[in-house]
Formats: sequence, structure tokens, C-alpha cells
Amino acid sequence: MSGRRECDPLNTTLLLQVVLSGLVTGLIYMLIALGVTLLFGIMRVVNFIHGEFVMLSAFAIWFIGVDQGWPMWVAIPIAVAVAAAMAVLCQRYLFKPLQYDILNCFIVGIGASFAIRSASWAIFGPEPQAIPAMLPGVIKLGGVFMAKQRLLAAGVCIVLAIALYLFLHYTRPGKAMRAVEQDREAAMLMGINPESVYVTAFMISAALAAVGGAMLGSVFGVDPEMGAEPLLKSFIIVQIGGMGSIAGTVIAGLFIGVADSVTGTLLGGELAFIIDFAILMLILIVRPKGLFGYDV
Amino acid sequence: MTIARRGFVALGAAGVATGLGLRPGFAADKTIVLGCSLPLSGPAAPTGISTQRTIEHAFELINAKGIMIGADRYTITPQFYDNKYVPAEAVSIVEKMLADGTKYLFSTGSGNSVPVVQKTTDAKVLQLSGASGKDHLTGPKFPYSFRVQPTNETAYAVYPWLKTSYPSIKRVAHINPSDEAGFTESEDRRMIAEKNGFSNVGNEYFKRGSTDMYPVATRMAGFNADMIDFGGTIGRDQGLAVKALRELGYKGQVLIGYSDAKSFVDIAGPEAAEGALLFDTLAEAQTPDQKELVDWWLKKYGPPFPSYAFLMWDWPFMLAEAIRKAQSIDPVVVAEALRTTVHHGIFGEEKFGMKSVYGIDCSLTRQIPMSIIKGGKPTYLATIEWPAGV
Repeated sequence: MSGRRECDPLNTTLLLQVVLSGLVTGLIYMLIALGVTLLFGIMRVVNFIHGEFVMLSAFAIWFIGVDQGWPMWVAIPIAVAVAAAMAVLCQRYLFKPLQYDILNCFIVGIGASFAIRSASWAIFGPEPQAIPAMLPGVIKLGGVFMAKQRLLAAGVCIVLAIALYLFLHYTRPGKAMRAVEQDREAAMLMGINPESVYVTAFMISAALAAVGGAMLGSVFGVDPEMGAEPLLKSFIIVQIGGMGSIAGTVIAGLFIGVADSVTGTLLGGELAFIIDFAILMLILIVRPKGLFGYDV
Repeated sequence: MTIARRGFVALGAAGVATGLGLRPGFAADKTIVLGCSLPLSGPAAPTGISTQRTIEHAFELINAKGIMIGADRYTITPQFYDNKYVPAEAVSIVEKMLADGTKYLFSTGSGNSVPVVQKTTDAKVLQLSGASGKDHLTGPKFPYSFRVQPTNETAYAVYPWLKTSYPSIKRVAHINPSDEAGFTESEDRRMIAEKNGFSNVGNEYFKRGSTDMYPVATRMAGFNADMIDFGGTIGRDQGLAVKALRELGYKGQVLIGYSDAKSFVDIAGPEAAEGALLFDTLAEAQTPDQKELVDWWLKKYGPPFPSYAFLMWDWPFMLAEAIRKAQSIDPVVVAEALRTTVHHGIFGEEKFGMKSVYGIDCSLTRQIPMSIIKGGKPTYLATIEWPAGV
């Protein structure tokens, strides 16, 4: 099926290039997956609209920052706020009436996802857009090349992953989230209102999606389908890392990023998804709760 | 909960399931229905939506005059279906059309067009495709199948032109999506490049719609080619791949086609896109007819004008002329009339030819416009006449 493989054989420079590329891409996927795993860990909700939050945020940033010409430091916070507001609306009017039932929420999520995507084609038109790099140019270290914007995106993802960890472990609302995640009834007995925790979780999840949209949009462009592949990757990452596990999501994100990069470079891009799913199936067979998951 | 976890991924995969999109045309006293199977969503949607808008307007003009067959006045009603550039969707769409008695089909993308051509041939349906697919799509076995847009065939005109216009290009690498369109594009372009004295130094495929192009771009950059031919790569994929190539240090020429030039620059970025050659792409209108189409688009949809619209403009008029010439709506009769129809469109004289390649005149031949990205903007470069004897 694939054509000739005439590329230089694997050498140190190529290996470094492939691994670095994979780590950077994996970090962006990880950021999006963190939002997915946060909601599942706390509410057992599989939010299929998450990819659309990524896409809508990217379009919001493009509209404010590119089309309207506002500075990016204004556009991104506005997009985060818009995504958080949309998430609250979804929580209140879609998922709460369904009592957070996993299957019902998933089915409604799929429907809403396609509706949003179709509406986006109509609203934003057929032309893909781009968010200009905030850090243009390329860094060359030895024979390894990397766009500065990709490194910026990776740095932002790392900072946000650390911030999320600190929030969940060292702040009062974060501890409340973990309490609800561990035992909803016991948390209620301790005076924690699960509904307010859910609202906060949705807002944080959407905010992560919004920043992910900014990073994806500046690296990969903006169009109504842009959230689909990262969401699928997120599902794979979350399942491999273990549902609800931040550490698992980080490690699985990096792992999938590097695996995709190595597979795509050495064997051809068409095999990357096959390898992803093969790893996923292996994990499900050997360790169904994922690498860092736990029984609920 | 374990079951829920296992179900999570299965549900995720199920989420890619999609439905059909149908948009009705307008009614007329006597109507010829043209089923149109296009990617109206998904990564190839930019070309699909541009195509839809363009041919809708073409048929508005055609229908305003009507097609007289004897005393009867006919109009053509395009019915649009979204195939999402998923072959299985395209097959379902065409099966539905055939069941509904549709006798005329327009389809884009060889992945969507090739799998249905045997069905349309068996049903004696006239199939018009904006697709590659070589003799899997057109030829003596499929007498009612026509290619209304030269695709890989453009290479017959472009490579001889490259040889004289860019003599420093010797080593060519090829990148294509890993599907029917990509395989046929790659096969033909390598063959034609070699016949014209170029050396093929690499050939790669990628999954259409991929987000991260770094893996395939890393391989492409390793070929040290003078030029990378993007063949059947379309839409956002082009911009992302060229951007990745430049970020990975590739300094050579790139050759792309089939897409809107401005979108390509937006996605790749002006620096990465600079100097890219665009085959079968008219970045700027050169004639009054071309300008008229641009003005209509800008008035109706606003900027930017997608240059791809030029490529989809003429064939509806050729179909109408063929029906008029045939004085019949029988697709078998119209097919023979279409084969000999000569149309003077926005690319000069256009007709179905390439008997020397496919054994039957079935593939549109016309001028091939070339553009280049200069100063971050798509700019008209040249017009290549269709090569004699092809």
C-alpha cells in the first residue's frame, strides 16, 4: 500500500526529531484529554462536546484576534470565558436533566456535537482559518528543528497541567472536587454541594479545551472539524492513562504523542491510528482500568 | 463501572457515525435531477462547499434559459448530498439515488467516485466526476463516465512545462493521501515525471485529514528533493504539510493543486507558502468571463473568492449543451453527445479527450492555469495549453 521508504535510516538526529515532535504533539493532546478525564473522574460524564469547545474557542480566538484585530492576550481570555459559559449552559440544560447518566449524556453529546459542527460550517464557511503564531520562527539545535510556536504550546500545556494538579490538591474547591470524585454521598455529608462542584468542573474542563483550541489553532489551523481527531486521541489517552487520573493522562498523552510520531515517521502515518488502538486494546486486556486508574 | 469504562471507547468510536445531508434544488415544469455527492463537511469540505455554490449558480443561469428538447422546456435540478469524503457514505448516497431513479450523477473525489462507477454503468446513469481514478473511473468499460476536471491528468501538461520553466528541478518527491485518489495520483505523477526526465526520489502517503504532519514531513524532508509534488493532497492538509516541511528545514520547491490558494497561504503561513507553485489554480481572473464569476461570488458570499470555483464552472454548461445537442434526456444518448461537445468556457476551448490514455474520449481537456505564491499572495503565473496528442 505504502510507497517506497527511501528516507535515511534511523539515526540519533532523526530519533531526537521524532521524539521531540511527538512530545510536543502529545502535550497538546494531553491538555485536551485533561478536560475529558476531569469530567469523567468527577461526574462519570463522557463529554463528546469537548471537541467542539476546542473548535469554538479556536474560532473565537481567530475572530477576536485575527478578524477583528484585537491582541491575542485579549482574545484568548475572552475565548476561555466564552467556553466556560457554554460549558455551564451544557451542564445545566443538557447533562443535569439527564442526571449525568453516562449513556444518555454520551448520546446527547454526540447529537449536540454534530449540530454544533454543522452549524459551524454554515456560520464560519468552508475556508479553513489560521491563528498566527505568537512566537514565529524555527529553532534549530544540531540537526533538530522545531517551530517556536510548538514549543510555546508545549510550555503552556505543561504549566496548565501543573496548575490543574496544584488546584486539585491544594485548594479548597479542588479538594471538594476530589472528595466528590471519591464518594459523592460522603462529600455531601461534609457539606459539599456536588452541583456547584460539577459547575466548576465543567468550567475548568472547557477552559482547558479553550486553551487547547488556541494552541491547536496556532499550530494546525482552525476549521469546524479540528476538534474531532484530538477528541478521539483524548479518549484513547484517557483510557490508557486511567479514567480520572491526571498523572495517567499526562503520561499517556506523552506516550501516544511519541508513539504516533515514531510510527508515522518510520512506518507511515496511516499506521499511527492502528498502533494507537492496538496499544489501547492491549491495555484494556491487561489492565482494564488503565495505567493509573482505580476501581470506582 | 468497568463495563462503562470499556464502553467508553466503543462509544467514542461510534461517535464518528454520520448522517446524510440533503438540500433540495428548485422546482421546474420538466426537471432533470442531478444527484451531487460532495464532501460538504469534513476536511475536504472547503472544496465541496465551493463546488456546491459554484454549480448552483451555473444551473441558475442554465435554468433561466432552459434546455429546449422539442417543444419541452427542461431545467436541471442539482440535489446535494454530503459524502464527507467517506467512500462508504458515497456508496450509500449513490445507491439511494439509483433507487430513486436518478439518471445523472456528479461526484467529487476518486474515493467517492470509483466505488460507484460500476453501479452507475450498470444502471446506465451518466456519471460526471471531479476526480482522479484513472481507468478505474473512465474508459471503455464505463462509457457513461466522464471526468469533468483534469486531476492527475494535469501532470501531462505541467511536467513538460516545469522542465522548461524550472530547469534546476531534477529530483522530485511525491506526497499523497493514503486512499484511491492518492494512490492513482502518485502512480501517474511518478510515471509522467519520469517520462519527462525527472528523477523520483521519494514517495509517501498520509492519512487524509491528519492533524499532525510532522511525521510524514520528517520523512519527506529526508529525501532532499528539489521539488515535492503534493498530487492529490487537498484542503487543509496541503497547508499543514507545507508548514511542517518548512519548519523541518525543507528549502525546495513545492507543487500543489486542487485547492483554494488563499486558504493554503492562511494555513501554511505566508513564509512557508512563499514560492509554492499551484497547478490548475487560477489565482487572479484574467478574462472578462473569469472576472464575472469572481464578482458574482464576492457579491453573494463576500471575500475570499475560492480559486477552486473556476475549475467547477464550465462542466454544467457542457452538460446542458450535450442534452440540447442530443435532444434527449436519455443518459446513454447524452453521453455520446457529451463526448463530442466542444465548449468555449473560462479556460478557452474545452472538450472531452484523452482517448490516447484511456481508450475513449472521457476526460476533460483544457488550458491548465498556473499560479505562484509571491509576497504571501497567490499570483497568476502562466497558462499551459493542453499538450497535443494526449
